[in-house]
Amino acid sequence: MRQWLRTQGGWWLAWLLVAGAGAAWIARAELRQQYEDFEANGRIAHRLMSQQVVQYDAVLATLALLESAPDAGRPEQRLPAVYPSILGVERRDAGATWSDPALAAAETKSRELRRPELASQDFARGRYRLVIGAVPTSYALDIDLAATVPWRDWPMDPKQSPVRVVLERAGQQFVVQPGLPQAVQGERGRGGWHFDFRKVLASDSQAFDLVAQRRVSWRELPWAWMAAWALAMAVVLAGAYTLRRQRIERRRAEELLRLGQVARLNALGELAAGMAHELNQPLTAVLANTQAARRLLDEDPPELDTARAAMQQAAEQARRAADVVGRLRRVIERPAHADEAKPVILQEVVRSALHLLGPELDRRTIAPVFDGAAQAPVSVRAEPVALEQIVHNLLMNALQALDEQPAGDRQLRLTVVRNGEHGVLTVSDNGRGIAPEALPRIFEPFFSTREGGLGLGLSLCETLAGEMGGTLAAESAPPRGARFTLRLPLALPPLRERRA
Amino acid sequence: MTNEPLSPLIHLIDDDRAVRESLALLIGTVGLRAQGWSDPQAFIEGFDRGGIGAIVLDVRMPGISGLAVLDTLVAQGVDQPVIMLTGHGTVEMCRRAFKAGAAEFLEKPVDDEQLLEALQHAVRQHVRSRERAQADQAARERYAQLSEREREVTGFIVAGLTNKEIARELALSPRTIETHRANLFAKLECDSLAQLIRRYAALVDGAP
Repeated sequence: MRQWLRTQGGWWLAWLLVAGAGAAWIARAELRQQYEDFEANGRIAHRLMSQQVVQYDAVLATLALLESAPDAGRPEQRLPAVYPSILGVERRDAGATWSDPALAAAETKSRELRRPELASQDFARGRYRLVIGAVPTSYALDIDLAATVPWRDWPMDPKQSPVRVVLERAGQQFVVQPGLPQAVQGERGRGGWHFDFRKVLASDSQAFDLVAQRRVSWRELPWAWMAAWALAMAVVLAGAYTLRRQRIERRRAEELLRLGQVARLNALGELAAGMAHELNQPLTAVLANTQAARRLLDEDPPELDTARAAMQQAAEQARRAADVVGRLRRVIERPAHADEAKPVILQEVVRSALHLLGPELDRRTIAPVFDGAAQAPVSVRAEPVALEQIVHNLLMNALQALDEQPAGDRQLRLTVVRNGEHGVLTVSDNGRGIAPEALPRIFEPFFSTREGGLGLGLSLCETLAGEMGGTLAAESAPPRGARFTLRLPLALPPLRERRA
Repeated sequence: MTNEPLSPLIHLIDDDRAVRESLALLIGTVGLRAQGWSDPQAFIEGFDRGGIGAIVLDVRMPGISGLAVLDTLVAQGVDQPVIMLTGHGTVEMCRRAFKAGAAEFLEKPVDDEQLLEALQHAVRQHVRSRERAQADQAARERYAQLSEREREVTGFIVAGLTNKEIARELALSPRTIETHRANLFAKLECDSLAQLIRRYAALVDGAP
């Protein structure tokens, strides 16, 4: 658990933070959008309703102005046919009385305020009457609220919209559109966000409050987007995590490789020191004994017995030295080859070695030229690992030779060709080349022209090539430089010959 | 101790019997005696520190390194010269050995000429240093016989003052100084002023 926290806890925390912050931002943006829509709809509804009720004021004012004669055919009775929301029109000529005393009271008030006045408001049934007191005739409109709502221009779908819209006046409520049940304010317990819009209609006579309400519940948040965001962040972070792990792994591998090399060098140093001691002891005894014997024989008279014993000792110690060498060989002899020889494409081995040495080549600003790249694959019979080692060593050898060349003039050329029964790889460089006196000894163990070189690389290459039935040759490449030629038997005879 | 009845003794410390015996045989051919030690610890505890000779020490031994043995010998005031032998000497090891007081640093397998010459040189050095130490010892004993006043006068003589000047310094008559002078020359067994200065200047400076 602790281990898990250390390696992944931070990443999970980062994911939580990023996903949470992003989701909150998305939710907020969504809510803001919802609120803006809601408010716009509220304003539109308010404007539309205001226009409708103001119309009634205008109708009444027009009727009052017409001053129609008593027998003019009562044109106001045709109004309900034009305005479906006007259910009926009542008139009171001078001297007559209203059918309803409420209308009389409203008329009185209307005369007082000099504007139409509301009478018998009944929002439960969606009805109210509007009265204007005028001379000679006063009028009253019987209005249907439901028909007043201009559904054609209405900004919301009255059946689907989650917004509840009502008209309110004097404690009465007319529901224009019901919205979702939870839209009603007061149901706070369920959480979520509550939007509220309230504005009085722009008519003094019909000063209804238009109230719009909407509740956005938790469920209505854009969960899909939020989840998508969280998922996207998870993918991004997982990618980053994997990349980072890979980088760490690679660095660790490189470090291990370096340590391995150091360890190998140390082991080599230790081996050399041990070998020196193990061999020097008997050699010291051999030298001391033989020199003592010579001195004893030079004496007058010569001490023959002691000299003989000293020579005997020297011989024994020489044998001891031989034993040491034998033991050492048995210890560090290369194990029998685990790899079987099998067909290997020479070009691929070269490409792989060049790829491996890519950083080294770049560092030394060497652009190798590989002539065999475009050729038909040359398949030779070889142990893959041994062949790789040979090619790697030859390339390293060339790189080290080129170190002495100025950076602009370093040439490394590789060719792969098919020559009779052999696949032939050549590696040439324009380094300082091989001195004529060094050429015959170049494959001898412990022979090195390099300061601090062990002198084992080329020797090993030649041994490996020989074991695979091939050869490795070195020559000077005029005007300057060295060329190494590796020949290995082809895996299969060329196709033509097989057919023949 | 003053008379060396036997030839110088070379101590050979090496854990390898064949090496010890062969080197002992070689050393024997020039008339030196050799004693082999397989265990460095036994050597440190058991060897004759008074004898004239030298020590041949292998660097690489199981348990204790030759350099550590060298440090121990120097710390204990052993005056026999030490010759280090090694199978795989590095410059660093060589530097450390000389710094620690080794007389010579040779590589195995060692050539007879080289080893024997180094040993003979070391033995000569040792004999000379022992003689010098003995001479110093004798001079110190004679100097101890002087009276307080005579030592004072010796100091002034070594400093180059004449009898008159010494008499003035010590508020004595020149005759008295001359008497002291004659006495101290007799006690210190010196015939000349030069002899006195050469043998005793260091003692006068060391013990005012």
